[in-house]
This record gives sequence, C-alpha cells and structure tokens, in this order.
Amino acid sequence: METKTSPFLLTKDQLSKILHEIPAGYIKPTDPLLVATMPPLPPYQKLGVLVERDDIVDAGQSTISSQSCNKNIPTSVTQSYTCAECKRTLPTAHLLDLHITEQHDTYFAASVERGDKPMFSCYLEECTFKMHTAKERKDHCITVHKFPPNYRFDQSKSKAYHEKSRNEASMDVDELAGPTHNKIPYIKAFSFGHYTQRTFNTRRERREPGTTLLDVQDMKDALEDMD
Amino acid sequence: MSDNSSSTTVKLEDNFLRQKVREYARRQRQELRTSATDALRFGLGKIKEEIKEIEHLSVKDVNGLVARIKRRKHATSDDMYRLSYAFLQGNENINAFADKQGAVQVLVKELTGTDLTRRFDAAECFCNFSLGEAHVCEKIATLAGTYLVTYMDIKEPRLKRSCLWTLANILSTSNKATTTLLQMQLVPKLWKLYTAPADDLNVYQEDAAICLYLIATSAADLLSSEDRRYIAEHVHEKCASGPASEYYMYIIFQTEILRLEQELCLRNSKNLLSFVETCLQGDFKTPTEKFKVIYAVRVFTNIVATFTCIDNAKLIKNLVETLNRLFALQDESLTMDLLRLVKNIMNLQQSDKLLDHLQVHAFGSMQLYI
Repeated sequence: METKTSPFLLTKDQLSKILHEIPAGYIKPTDPLLVATMPPLPPYQKLGVLVERDDIVDAGQSTISSQSCNKNIPTSVTQSYTCAECKRTLPTAHLLDLHITEQHDTYFAASVERGDKPMFSCYLEECTFKMHTAKERKDHCITVHKFPPNYRFDQSKSKAYHEKSRNEASMDVDELAGPTHNKIPYIKAFSFGHYTQRTFNTRRERREPGTTLLDVQDMKDALEDMD
Repeated sequence: MSDNSSSTTVKLEDNFLRQKVREYARRQRQELRTSATDALRFGLGKIKEEIKEIEHLSVKDVNGLVARIKRRKHATSDDMYRLSYAFLQGNENINAFADKQGAVQVLVKELTGTDLTRRFDAAECFCNFSLGEAHVCEKIATLAGTYLVTYMDIKEPRLKRSCLWTLANILSTSNKATTTLLQMQLVPKLWKLYTAPADDLNVYQEDAAICLYLIATSAADLLSSEDRRYIAEHVHEKCASGPASEYYMYIIFQTEILRLEQELCLRNSKNLLSFVETCLQGDFKTPTEKFKVIYAVRVFTNIVATFTCIDNAKLIKNLVETLNRLFALQDESLTMDLLRLVKNIMNLQQSDKLLDHLQVHAFGSMQLYI
C-alpha cells in the first residue's frame, strides 16, 4: 500500500478545527469511518489437509504402544481418559469426571435420591447449569447446546449398559432371593444338538425363598441320625 | 568394606536414575515425533495443480465408497483416506457425499470411536469435507459439531489440530453453522486455547486465534452475553508477547466487550492498557504489525471513551512520544484513528494541553476540515 507523505505539520489551531469535526466517544465496529480502513490482513482461505499415510499409521502405533504401557494414567499426551473402575474410555477429563461421579459415587447417588438440589452438570465444562435428572440434562444439551439426541458420550447410556452387565454378572442366589423371583418365567435350556445333559438338573422344582436353610437343617439332622 | 557397599549403592542409584532419564527421553522423542508429522494443506482442487500424478477420484468412486461404508456401518482407514483424497479434488465429490443419507453418521461414528487411527482419519476427512459449500458445513456443524468442540479439550495434537482446521473452514463459510457452533460453547474453548501459555504441547494459539478472528469478523453479533462475559472475565490471560497476539486487539474491538461488559473490563483495564502499550511499540512495517497497531489505537480510543473513571496517570506512559511516533508514520487512516483517540483523551482531561506537543502531518482529506 502506497502512503502519501506530507511535509506540512498542522498548527494547534488547525488541529483544533479538525478535532472539532471529528466524532468523539466510543467507536463501533460498524462505524462508517472505519469501513474505508479494512484490516490489512489477507482474507482467510479454506484449506483441507493431507497427511502422509505411513505417518498416521506410525502415530497410531506409537500411541497404542504408549497406551499399553501406561494404563489408567490419564496424563500422557496421546492418551484418552479411562475409568479405572469400569474401563470406559472418554475423550476429556470433564466427561471422565462426570462419569466417575455419576456412575461410581455412592454419595452422589444418595444426593440424587434425596433430590434437594440439582446434581447433574452439563456435558459442556463451561456451562454452569445443573439439573436434577440425567433426562433434564439431556434435554438441556439438546435444546440449549444443539447436541445430537444420540450423543455418543452420554452417561445415562453407559448406566443402562452398566446395570445390564451387572445383572448378567450377578449370582443366581441374589436373584432368587429377590421378590421378583416368581415373575421370572421358566426357560427351557437350549441343547444345540447335544442331548446328553452334562450340567446340573435345571428342571428341579423351584423352592420358595428360605427353604434352602431348612434343607441344610434337614441335612444336619440326617447327618446326626447317621452318627 | 563399608566404603565399598556405599559406593555400590550409589552406583545402583546412579544406574536407576540414568535408566529413568533414558526412558523419559525415549518417550519424549516418541511424543515429539508423533506431533511433528507434517500435514500438507491444500485448497479445494489445488491438489491436482500441485501433484500431477495424483489418482483421479470421481463421483462414481465416492458413491462406491459411501455404499461400502454404509453397508458395513463403519469405515476403515483406507476408506476414509480415499474419501479425504476425493474431497480435496473437487466440490462435486463433496456434494455427492453430502447428498447420501447416513454417510456423515458413519464418519461421526469413527470420529467418536475407540480406535485412535480411525479417529485421526475421520477428523481429516471432516476437515476436507468442510471445504464444501454452506449446506455441507451446516450438516457437519449439526451432526459432528458437538464432537469437534468437545475435542478442543483432548490431548492428541493431530486430532485437535484437524478439528480446529475443520472449525475454521466452517466458521468462514456459513453463519447458520457458526450459530450452531457458538451454541455449543465454542468461544470459551477457543479462548482457553488462545490464551494458554506457549510451550511444546500448547501450539494451538494460532489456529484458535484464526477461529476467533473469523467469529469476530462475521459473527460478532451472534455472540451470546455468556460468551462476551467469558472473554471479559479472562481478557487478562493473554500475554502480549505470546503467539498470535496480533489478533487480540481485533477480537476485543470487534466483540465490543468494552462497551457490553464494562464492569468486568474495568477490572482488567490495567492489563488491557499494558497490552495496548506493547502493541503501539510495533514498527508498522508488515501487514501484521499494521493490523496490530491500528486495532490497538481503536481499542485505546474505546478504553478512554468508556472508562471515564480511569486515572490520567494510568494512561500509557510516554503518551505524547508514542503518539508523535505514530503520527510520523504518515499513514492516513492511522492518523484519523489517532485523532479520534486524541479527542477522547482531551475530553477525559478536559483540556487541550496535549495539542501543544503533537506533531501531526497534513493530508489531503484534512483540507475539508481546516
């Protein structure tokens, strides 16, 4: 940009006259006087990216190897944040924090149950709103922050999964002792072509809760009789 | 004997320490190598001009890839690499992909999956996909925007940078997509990256600054009061000597936080003034320096206009000297900006003593006023 130089300096009176005509106060970005002086930076040019494929593979491998070396330490540059309890991997510290609090903290669960104050923080760290339920949080994220309904780092999803897996892993004894025992339908065991029964007999009559102890007592009595 | 045993212990400790240092150095080298991988950047269609031997990928190829990834409900690294390649070659490939329902969702799935390599590929795919027109960028913002914004907090450098580049492409294309991204609290995340102290691991200041610059240029009126408040609260966190500091004054000026968040800015006025002071020491030779100085003058003008309670002593040191140095540059637009600043200072001081010391060169446009 060429600049015209001027050898003449303005006198105080001339300056005062000029200043009298110039607007004072706050300059808004939309000020018409500024339009003529656009920022001298070149306009932004959209650019794509192309990375040498081998480099990506190398990076991935190095990352994976570093992950395998340092399990459960969320401080390395190339690591995700992994829950030590259930091994769920989350991309940010905030999401891991929410996960640990909401899934593994009994104090949090008790506070939610009491319901006197909102406990569920927004998925966005910068948002300070707190909600009473996970559903309220989900609605908030969808309406206010334009989250997709199937947000992939949703904690409630993992809770459902967590409960399901816990049910699958739990012992039969616990289930039988529960009040819902009578509601569970009897399912015939699948044989997959092997007709010989190699397990305990599953067709035994179902016992009422508490009968097991009586059986043990019977057993003891029987043993005493044998003596 | 005891001397021998103590020396053996010292040797063992020495070895242990050396081994630890070696291990640390090895890991550091590996991390630096990972983050130092070069990424070539191309505009839409430019790749054909740059690399003549490139394999041409047509709309038919894109359709084939889309059919495959939709059928399998996941995309391999190969698929995504070819897609990125195809997007770089032309807008017709981008539009063909955008028109296929469910294709973007597969990329989103890979972007949020557990496989790190596929996450990289998906992010780079999105970056090239964002070279498309407004409707494409709006689609990305709606379906993947949340994750792109979330990934501002992650540690993987390549993934983070690809997401920043994608966001910059989107922000420069569509106001509707920008609105969506702003609702996802993009501004605080960008501000955090921008103001982070520069070191080997925090190298995103420039990319974050470009995103903020794009928002300040075309979407400043779309900013929420929360976004402005966040900037005003954290306005002092940017170091004047830090990377991409040339954008700082422009962002402050365009977002109007001085007027809309007066109280918060007044608290940080000392930092703002010292930043202005540093900027005004620029040599005005390069476009970047000019940009920095012009907006520093404008911000300074607004500081003087807004904070009438500022003590005169707090105004920048050697004010007359600095003003005369800038007037001597004889840049017409800068001189007009400086005169607005002088008028505000005179109003604040309620005297015209300052004029006795100023040396302002006359320009053609000034003849109208004299």
